[in-house]
Amino acid sequence: MQVGRTGLPSVAMDDDTGAGHVLSDFLLQLENYNPSIPDSVVAHYLNMSGFESQDPRLIRLIALASQKFLSDIANDALQHCKMRTSSQINQAKNQKGPKEKKYVMTMEDLAPALQEYGITARKPHYFV
Amino acid sequence: MTENVEKLESGSDARRRILNIAVSTVLLETGFESADKISLETLTEMLQCFFTEIGNSAKGYCELSGRVEPVLGDVVMAMINMGISIQGLEQYAARPNRHVIQPPQQAPAPRTPSMLSAGSKAKHASHIPFYLPSLPDPHAYIRTPTHKQPVTEYEAIREKAATQKRDIERALTKFLAKTSETHNLFNTEDNQVFPLIACKPTFPAYLPCLLPTDQVFDFDELEYHFQVANRTEDVPAEKKDQSDNEGDNGGDNDNANSSQAESQDLPVNSSPDRNKSGG
Repeated sequence: MQVGRTGLPSVAMDDDTGAGHVLSDFLLQLENYNPSIPDSVVAHYLNMSGFESQDPRLIRLIALASQKFLSDIANDALQHCKMRTSSQINQAKNQKGPKEKKYVMTMEDLAPALQEYGITARKPHYFV
Repeated sequence: MTENVEKLESGSDARRRILNIAVSTVLLETGFESADKISLETLTEMLQCFFTEIGNSAKGYCELSGRVEPVLGDVVMAMINMGISIQGLEQYAARPNRHVIQPPQQAPAPRTPSMLSAGSKAKHASHIPFYLPSLPDPHAYIRTPTHKQPVTEYEAIREKAATQKRDIERALTKFLAKTSETHNLFNTEDNQVFPLIACKPTFPAYLPCLLPTDQVFDFDELEYHFQVANRTEDVPAEKKDQSDNEGDNGGDNDNANSSQAESQDLPVNSSPDRNKSGG
Protein backbone atom coordinates (compact mmCIF):
# COMPACT_ATOMS: atom_id res chain seq x y z
CA MET A 1 0.00 0.00 0.00
CA GLN A 2 1.28 3.35 -0.97
CA VAL A 3 1.84 5.66 1.95
CA GLY A 4 1.96 9.36 1.34
CA ARG A 5 3.58 10.40 4.51
CA THR A 6 7.24 9.72 5.03
CA GLY A 7 8.47 7.89 8.06
CA LEU A 8 5.20 6.42 9.24
CA PRO A 9 4.54 2.74 9.16
CA SER A 10 1.69 1.44 7.12
CA VAL A 11 -1.50 1.18 8.97
CA ALA A 12 -3.16 -1.66 10.78
CA MET A 13 -0.68 -4.38 10.02
CA ASP A 14 0.60 -4.62 13.56
CA ASP A 15 -2.74 -4.56 15.28
CA ASP A 16 -3.69 -7.77 16.89
CA THR A 17 -7.36 -7.05 16.76
CA GLY A 18 -7.40 -5.63 13.25
CA ALA A 19 -8.43 -2.17 12.19
CA GLY A 20 -12.04 -3.06 11.65
CA HIS A 21 -12.53 -4.25 15.18
CA VAL A 22 -10.96 -1.15 16.61
CA LEU A 23 -13.21 1.10 14.76
CA SER A 24 -16.38 -0.89 15.28
CA ASP A 25 -16.15 -0.04 18.97
CA PHE A 26 -15.47 3.51 18.06
CA LEU A 27 -18.49 3.56 15.82
CA LEU A 28 -20.73 2.94 18.78
CA GLN A 29 -19.24 5.94 20.51
CA LEU A 30 -19.93 8.06 17.50
CA GLU A 31 -23.65 7.97 17.98
CA ASN A 32 -23.61 10.86 20.39
CA TYR A 33 -20.66 12.62 18.93
CA ASN A 34 -20.99 15.63 16.68
CA PRO A 35 -17.99 16.52 14.61
CA SER A 36 -17.40 20.08 13.62
CA ILE A 37 -18.64 19.60 10.10
CA PRO A 38 -22.41 19.19 9.91
CA ASP A 39 -23.70 15.84 8.79
CA SER A 40 -25.75 17.17 5.93
CA VAL A 41 -22.81 18.88 4.25
CA VAL A 42 -20.62 15.79 4.45
CA ALA A 43 -23.46 13.60 3.26
CA HIS A 44 -24.01 15.88 0.32
CA TYR A 45 -20.42 15.66 -0.86
CA LEU A 46 -20.39 11.92 -0.38
CA ASN A 47 -23.61 11.59 -2.32
CA MET A 48 -22.04 13.54 -5.14
CA SER A 49 -19.49 10.77 -5.58
CA GLY A 50 -21.96 7.95 -5.20
CA PHE A 51 -21.61 7.06 -1.55
CA GLU A 52 -25.01 6.82 0.06
CA SER A 53 -25.34 5.64 3.60
CA GLN A 54 -28.27 5.59 5.91
CA ASP A 55 -26.02 5.20 8.90
CA PRO A 56 -25.06 8.62 10.28
CA ARG A 57 -22.21 7.16 12.26
CA LEU A 58 -20.35 6.33 9.10
CA ILE A 59 -20.78 9.91 7.93
CA ARG A 60 -19.47 11.17 11.21
CA LEU A 61 -16.51 8.86 11.01
CA ILE A 62 -15.57 10.26 7.64
CA ALA A 63 -16.07 13.81 8.88
CA LEU A 64 -13.85 13.11 11.84
CA ALA A 65 -11.20 11.56 9.64
CA SER A 66 -11.19 14.59 7.39
CA GLN A 67 -10.92 16.88 10.36
CA LYS A 68 -7.98 14.97 11.68
CA PHE A 69 -6.38 15.07 8.26
CA LEU A 70 -6.71 18.82 8.17
CA SER A 71 -5.53 19.30 11.69
CA ASP A 72 -2.43 17.23 11.02
CA ILE A 73 -1.59 19.44 8.08
CA ALA A 74 -2.33 22.53 10.13
CA ASN A 75 -0.08 21.32 12.91
CA ASP A 76 2.75 20.78 10.49
CA ALA A 77 2.18 24.24 9.08
CA LEU A 78 2.20 25.65 12.57
CA GLN A 79 5.56 24.02 13.20
CA HIS A 80 6.92 25.64 10.07
CA CYS A 81 5.47 28.95 11.11
CA LYS A 82 6.95 28.74 14.58
CA MET A 83 10.32 27.82 13.20
CA ARG A 84 10.24 30.79 10.93
CA THR A 85 9.09 33.30 13.52
CA SER A 86 11.49 31.99 16.15
CA SER A 87 14.39 32.34 13.74
CA GLN A 88 13.24 35.84 12.90
CA ILE A 89 13.02 36.75 16.57
CA ASN A 90 16.47 35.40 17.22
CA GLN A 91 17.77 37.45 14.35
CA ALA A 92 16.09 40.60 15.54
CA LYS A 93 17.41 40.00 19.05
CA ASN A 94 14.15 40.93 20.68
CA GLN A 95 14.71 41.51 24.43
CA LYS A 96 11.06 41.66 25.40
CA GLY A 97 9.46 38.82 27.23
CA PRO A 98 7.62 36.18 25.35
CA LYS A 99 4.80 38.21 23.91
CA GLU A 100 1.70 36.64 22.69
CA LYS A 101 2.46 35.34 19.26
CA LYS A 102 -0.16 35.48 16.62
CA TYR A 103 0.27 32.98 13.90
CA VAL A 104 -1.02 33.60 10.46
CA MET A 105 -1.36 30.72 8.11
CA THR A 106 0.10 31.61 4.75
CA MET A 107 1.05 29.68 1.70
CA GLU A 108 4.65 29.86 2.78
CA ASP A 109 3.87 27.57 5.70
CA LEU A 110 1.28 25.52 3.97
CA ALA A 111 3.26 24.57 0.90
CA PRO A 112 6.08 22.72 2.66
CA ALA A 113 3.57 21.09 5.00
CA LEU A 114 1.64 19.79 2.05
CA GLN A 115 4.83 18.75 0.34
CA GLU A 116 5.36 16.16 3.05
CA TYR A 117 2.03 14.68 2.21
CA GLY A 118 2.85 14.53 -1.44
CA ILE A 119 0.47 17.33 -2.36
CA THR A 120 2.03 20.00 -4.47
CA ALA A 121 0.31 23.35 -4.11
CA ARG A 122 1.42 25.97 -6.52
CA LYS A 123 0.09 29.44 -6.95
CA PRO A 124 -1.29 29.99 -10.43
CA HIS A 125 0.65 32.43 -12.51
CA TYR A 126 -2.42 34.37 -13.50
CA PHE A 127 -6.00 34.44 -12.48
CA VAL A 128 -8.10 31.97 -14.31
CA MET B 1 -9.61 33.89 10.58
CA THR B 2 -10.12 35.99 7.53
CA GLU B 3 -12.89 35.35 5.09
CA ASN B 4 -14.19 37.31 2.18
CA VAL B 5 -17.91 37.35 1.52
CA GLU B 6 -18.97 35.82 -1.77
CA LYS B 7 -21.50 37.68 -3.82
CA LEU B 8 -23.36 34.82 -5.44
CA GLU B 9 -25.55 32.58 -3.39
CA SER B 10 -26.33 29.05 -4.43
CA GLY B 11 -26.63 25.63 -2.92
CA SER B 12 -23.11 24.57 -3.68
CA ASP B 13 -21.78 27.90 -2.50
CA ALA B 14 -23.54 27.56 0.82
CA ARG B 15 -22.00 24.17 1.42
CA ARG B 16 -18.65 25.42 0.31
CA ARG B 17 -18.87 28.17 2.83
CA ILE B 18 -19.68 25.65 5.52
CA LEU B 19 -16.51 23.83 4.56
CA ASN B 20 -14.68 27.11 4.79
CA ILE B 21 -15.99 27.58 8.27
CA ALA B 22 -15.01 24.04 9.19
CA VAL B 23 -11.48 24.56 7.94
CA SER B 24 -11.26 27.79 9.86
CA THR B 25 -12.43 26.00 12.97
CA VAL B 26 -9.70 23.42 12.59
CA LEU B 27 -7.12 26.13 12.14
CA LEU B 28 -8.35 27.91 15.21
CA GLU B 29 -8.09 24.78 17.26
CA THR B 30 -4.60 24.23 16.01
CA GLY B 31 -3.54 27.62 17.24
CA PHE B 32 -3.55 29.90 14.24
CA GLU B 33 -5.01 33.33 14.64
CA SER B 34 -5.69 34.11 11.03
CA ALA B 35 -5.08 32.68 7.63
CA ASP B 36 -4.45 33.71 4.09
CA LYS B 37 -7.36 33.61 1.76
CA ILE B 38 -5.47 31.46 -0.64
CA SER B 39 -4.40 28.95 1.98
CA LEU B 40 -7.95 28.78 3.28
CA GLU B 41 -9.19 28.07 -0.20
CA THR B 42 -6.52 25.47 -0.72
CA LEU B 43 -7.50 23.65 2.42
CA THR B 44 -11.18 23.85 1.57
CA GLU B 45 -10.50 22.41 -1.83
CA MET B 46 -8.49 19.65 -0.22
CA LEU B 47 -11.33 18.90 2.14
CA GLN B 48 -13.80 18.64 -0.67
CA CYS B 49 -11.46 16.38 -2.63
CA PHE B 50 -11.03 14.27 0.47
CA PHE B 51 -14.75 13.66 0.73
CA THR B 52 -15.05 12.92 -2.94
CA GLU B 53 -12.16 10.51 -2.91
CA ILE B 54 -13.34 8.67 0.19
CA GLY B 55 -16.81 8.42 -1.25
CA ASN B 56 -15.55 7.06 -4.53
CA SER B 57 -13.15 4.60 -2.96
CA ALA B 58 -15.60 3.31 -0.40
CA LYS B 59 -18.24 2.89 -3.04
CA GLY B 60 -15.79 1.00 -5.18
CA TYR B 61 -14.82 -1.35 -2.38
CA CYS B 62 -18.42 -1.88 -1.49
CA GLU B 63 -19.42 -2.79 -5.02
CA LEU B 64 -16.33 -4.92 -5.37
CA SER B 65 -17.64 -7.23 -2.70
CA GLY B 66 -21.04 -7.38 -4.29
CA ARG B 67 -22.89 -5.08 -1.95
CA VAL B 68 -24.82 -1.92 -2.55
CA GLU B 69 -24.68 -0.22 0.81
CA PRO B 70 -21.27 0.70 2.10
CA VAL B 71 -20.18 -0.64 5.45
CA LEU B 72 -17.55 0.39 7.96
CA GLY B 73 -15.04 -1.97 6.39
CA ASP B 74 -15.36 -0.25 3.04
CA VAL B 75 -14.69 3.11 4.58
CA VAL B 76 -11.70 1.74 6.47
CA MET B 77 -10.27 0.22 3.31
CA ALA B 78 -10.77 3.48 1.48
CA MET B 79 -8.99 5.42 4.17
CA ILE B 80 -6.11 2.98 4.29
CA ASN B 81 -5.86 3.18 0.54
CA MET B 82 -5.53 6.92 0.74
CA GLY B 83 -2.93 6.71 3.42
CA ILE B 84 -4.99 8.11 6.22
CA SER B 85 -4.10 6.73 9.57
CA ILE B 86 -6.85 5.21 11.64
CA GLN B 87 -4.96 4.94 14.88
CA GLY B 88 -5.30 8.44 16.12
CA LEU B 89 -8.97 8.90 15.41
CA GLU B 90 -10.22 8.00 18.84
CA GLN B 91 -7.77 10.28 20.56
CA TYR B 92 -8.60 13.04 18.20
CA ALA B 93 -12.25 12.64 18.96
CA ALA B 94 -11.59 13.02 22.61
CA ARG B 95 -9.65 16.24 22.37
CA PRO B 96 -10.87 18.90 24.75
CA ASN B 97 -11.32 22.01 22.65
CA ARG B 98 -13.93 21.22 20.08
CA HIS B 99 -16.09 23.63 18.22
CA VAL B 100 -19.26 22.44 16.64
CA ILE B 101 -20.65 24.25 13.66
CA GLN B 102 -24.35 24.84 13.41
CA PRO B 103 -25.87 22.81 10.63
CA PRO B 104 -27.05 25.04 7.82
CA GLN B 105 -30.64 26.12 8.10
CA GLN B 106 -32.95 25.12 5.35
CA ALA B 107 -33.73 28.19 3.29
CA PRO B 108 -37.40 28.27 2.30
CA ALA B 109 -37.70 27.32 -1.33
CA PRO B 110 -38.89 30.37 -3.26
CA ARG B 111 -42.46 29.72 -4.25
CA THR B 112 -43.11 30.56 -7.87
CA PRO B 113 -46.20 32.77 -7.75
CA SER B 114 -49.01 30.64 -9.07
CA MET B 115 -50.53 32.65 -11.84
CA LEU B 116 -53.79 31.93 -13.54
CA SER B 117 -54.62 29.09 -11.25
CA ALA B 118 -58.24 28.21 -10.76
CA GLY B 119 -59.17 25.77 -8.08
CA SER B 120 -56.90 23.57 -6.01
CA LYS B 121 -54.71 20.96 -7.58
CA ALA B 122 -55.58 17.40 -6.73
CA LYS B 123 -53.15 15.32 -4.70
CA HIS B 124 -51.16 12.48 -6.16
CA ALA B 125 -52.82 9.11 -6.24
CA SER B 126 -51.12 6.41 -4.22
CA HIS B 127 -49.40 4.88 -7.19
CA ILE B 128 -47.71 8.12 -8.21
CA PRO B 129 -44.31 8.82 -6.59
CA PHE B 130 -44.12 11.96 -4.53
CA TYR B 131 -41.21 13.48 -6.38
CA LEU B 132 -43.09 13.84 -9.63
CA PRO B 133 -44.55 17.29 -10.28
CA SER B 134 -48.02 18.00 -9.05
CA LEU B 135 -51.12 17.57 -11.12
CA PRO B 136 -52.36 20.56 -13.15
CA ASP B 137 -55.42 22.59 -12.34
CA PRO B 138 -58.47 20.37 -12.13
CA HIS B 139 -60.35 22.18 -14.86
CA ALA B 140 -57.65 21.18 -17.31
CA TYR B 141 -58.47 17.51 -17.26
CA ILE B 142 -61.69 16.99 -15.31
CA ARG B 143 -64.92 17.58 -17.14
CA THR B 144 -67.92 18.39 -15.00
CA PRO B 145 -71.26 19.07 -16.64
CA THR B 146 -72.46 22.63 -16.31
CA HIS B 147 -76.06 21.75 -15.68
CA LYS B 148 -78.09 18.89 -14.43
CA GLN B 149 -79.93 16.51 -16.66
CA PRO B 150 -83.15 18.33 -17.48
CA VAL B 151 -86.41 16.78 -16.37
CA THR B 152 -88.03 14.91 -19.20
CA GLU B 153 -91.25 13.84 -17.50
CA TYR B 154 -94.28 14.98 -19.37
CA GLU B 155 -96.07 16.12 -16.25
CA ALA B 156 -93.21 18.20 -14.99
CA ILE B 157 -92.71 19.86 -18.35
CA ARG B 158 -96.36 20.70 -18.72
CA GLU B 159 -96.38 22.17 -15.27
CA LYS B 160 -93.29 24.17 -15.98
CA ALA B 161 -94.68 25.54 -19.19
CA ALA B 162 -97.92 26.49 -17.51
CA THR B 163 -96.12 28.20 -14.67
CA GLN B 164 -93.94 30.09 -17.06
CA LYS B 165 -96.91 31.23 -19.11
CA ARG B 166 -98.76 32.41 -16.07
CA ASP B 167 -95.72 34.25 -14.76
CA ILE B 168 -95.15 35.93 -18.07
CA GLU B 169 -98.72 37.10 -18.28
CA ARG B 170 -98.71 38.42 -14.76
CA ALA B 171 -95.46 40.24 -15.23
CA LEU B 172 -96.55 41.76 -18.49
CA THR B 173 -99.88 42.96 -17.17
CA LYS B 174 -98.23 44.45 -14.14
CA PHE B 175 -95.79 46.26 -16.34
CA LEU B 176 -98.52 47.66 -18.53
CA ALA B 177 -100.54 48.67 -15.52
CA LYS B 178 -97.58 50.62 -14.23
CA THR B 179 -96.59 52.28 -17.47
CA SER B 180 -99.66 52.84 -19.63
CA GLU B 181 -103.00 54.41 -18.93
CA THR B 182 -105.11 52.77 -16.29
CA HIS B 183 -108.70 52.74 -15.15
CA ASN B 184 -109.66 52.41 -11.54
CA LEU B 185 -111.75 49.55 -10.35
CA PHE B 186 -113.07 51.62 -7.47
CA ASN B 187 -114.29 55.10 -7.77
CA THR B 188 -111.54 56.62 -5.63
CA GLU B 189 -108.52 58.73 -6.29
CA ASP B 190 -106.17 55.99 -5.29
CA ASN B 191 -104.67 54.60 -8.46
CA GLN B 192 -102.45 51.89 -7.13
CA VAL B 193 -104.72 49.42 -5.52
CA PHE B 194 -106.44 47.66 -8.42
CA PRO B 195 -105.26 49.23 -11.64
CA LEU B 196 -106.83 48.03 -14.82
CA ILE B 197 -105.24 48.51 -18.15
CA ALA B 198 -107.18 51.12 -19.95
CA CYS B 199 -109.14 49.89 -22.87
CA LYS B 200 -108.94 52.23 -25.78
CA PRO B 201 -111.83 51.63 -28.06
CA THR B 202 -111.35 52.40 -31.68
CA PHE B 203 -113.93 53.98 -33.89
CA PRO B 204 -115.59 52.25 -35.59
CA ALA B 205 -115.16 49.22 -33.31
CA TYR B 206 -115.97 46.59 -35.93
CA LEU B 207 -113.37 47.81 -38.44
CA PRO B 208 -110.34 45.74 -37.45
CA CYS B 209 -112.52 42.65 -37.57
CA LEU B 210 -113.63 43.36 -41.07
CA LEU B 211 -110.17 44.13 -42.40
CA PRO B 212 -107.66 41.38 -41.72
CA THR B 213 -104.15 42.73 -41.63
CA ASP B 214 -100.66 41.37 -41.51
CA GLN B 215 -98.61 41.74 -38.40
CA VAL B 216 -96.75 45.04 -38.19
CA PHE B 217 -93.19 44.70 -37.04
CA ASP B 218 -91.93 48.22 -37.47
CA PHE B 219 -94.27 51.17 -37.54
CA ASP B 220 -91.66 53.49 -39.02
CA GLU B 221 -91.21 51.14 -41.89
CA LEU B 222 -94.95 50.95 -42.26
CA GLU B 223 -95.16 54.69 -42.51
CA TYR B 224 -92.45 54.70 -45.12
CA HIS B 225 -94.22 52.12 -47.18
CA PHE B 226 -97.40 54.11 -46.86
CA GLN B 227 -95.67 57.16 -48.21
CA VAL B 228 -94.02 55.19 -50.97
CA ALA B 229 -97.22 53.49 -51.86
CA ASN B 230 -99.16 56.73 -52.10
CA ARG B 231 -96.78 58.53 -54.39
CA THR B 232 -98.66 60.00 -57.26
CA GLU B 233 -95.79 61.39 -59.29
CA ASP B 234 -94.59 57.92 -60.16
CA VAL B 235 -95.74 55.39 -62.71
CA PRO B 236 -99.48 55.26 -62.78
CA ALA B 237 -99.84 51.88 -61.13
CA GLU B 238 -103.23 51.71 -59.55
CA LYS B 239 -102.79 48.01 -59.25
CA LYS B 240 -99.50 48.59 -57.64
CA ASP B 241 -101.12 50.94 -55.15
CA GLN B 242 -103.77 48.44 -54.38
CA SER B 243 -101.36 45.60 -53.75
CA ASP B 244 -99.13 47.78 -51.61
CA ASN B 245 -101.96 49.12 -49.55
CA GLU B 246 -103.44 45.74 -48.95
CA GLY B 247 -100.15 44.36 -47.81
CA ASP B 248 -99.21 47.25 -45.60
CA ASN B 249 -102.31 47.77 -43.56
CA GLY B 250 -101.31 47.59 -39.95
CA GLY B 251 -103.70 46.49 -37.28
CA ASP B 252 -102.02 46.03 -33.89
CA ASN B 253 -104.41 46.94 -31.16
CA ASP B 254 -102.39 47.86 -28.13
CA ASN B 255 -100.43 51.02 -27.51
CA ALA B 256 -99.59 52.87 -30.65
CA ASN B 257 -102.43 55.24 -31.29
CA SER B 258 -100.62 56.52 -34.35
CA SER B 259 -100.88 53.14 -35.94
CA GLN B 260 -104.53 53.17 -35.09
CA ALA B 261 -104.88 56.46 -36.88
CA GLU B 262 -102.97 55.13 -39.87
CA SER B 263 -104.94 52.01 -40.07
CA GLN B 264 -108.03 54.13 -39.96
CA ASP B 265 -106.70 56.26 -42.77
CA LEU B 266 -105.45 53.50 -44.97
CA PRO B 267 -108.60 51.50 -45.20
CA VAL B 268 -110.44 54.69 -46.00
CA ASN B 269 -108.07 55.25 -48.90
CA SER B 270 -107.99 51.77 -50.15
CA SER B 271 -111.62 50.85 -49.89
CA PRO B 272 -112.68 53.27 -52.59
CA ASP B 273 -109.84 51.81 -54.75
CA ARG B 274 -111.05 48.35 -54.15
CA ASN B 275 -114.52 49.36 -54.95
CA LYS B 276 -113.22 50.80 -58.15
CA SER B 277 -111.30 47.71 -59.10
CA GLY B 278 -114.10 45.52 -58.03
CA GLY B 279 -116.52 47.54 -59.91
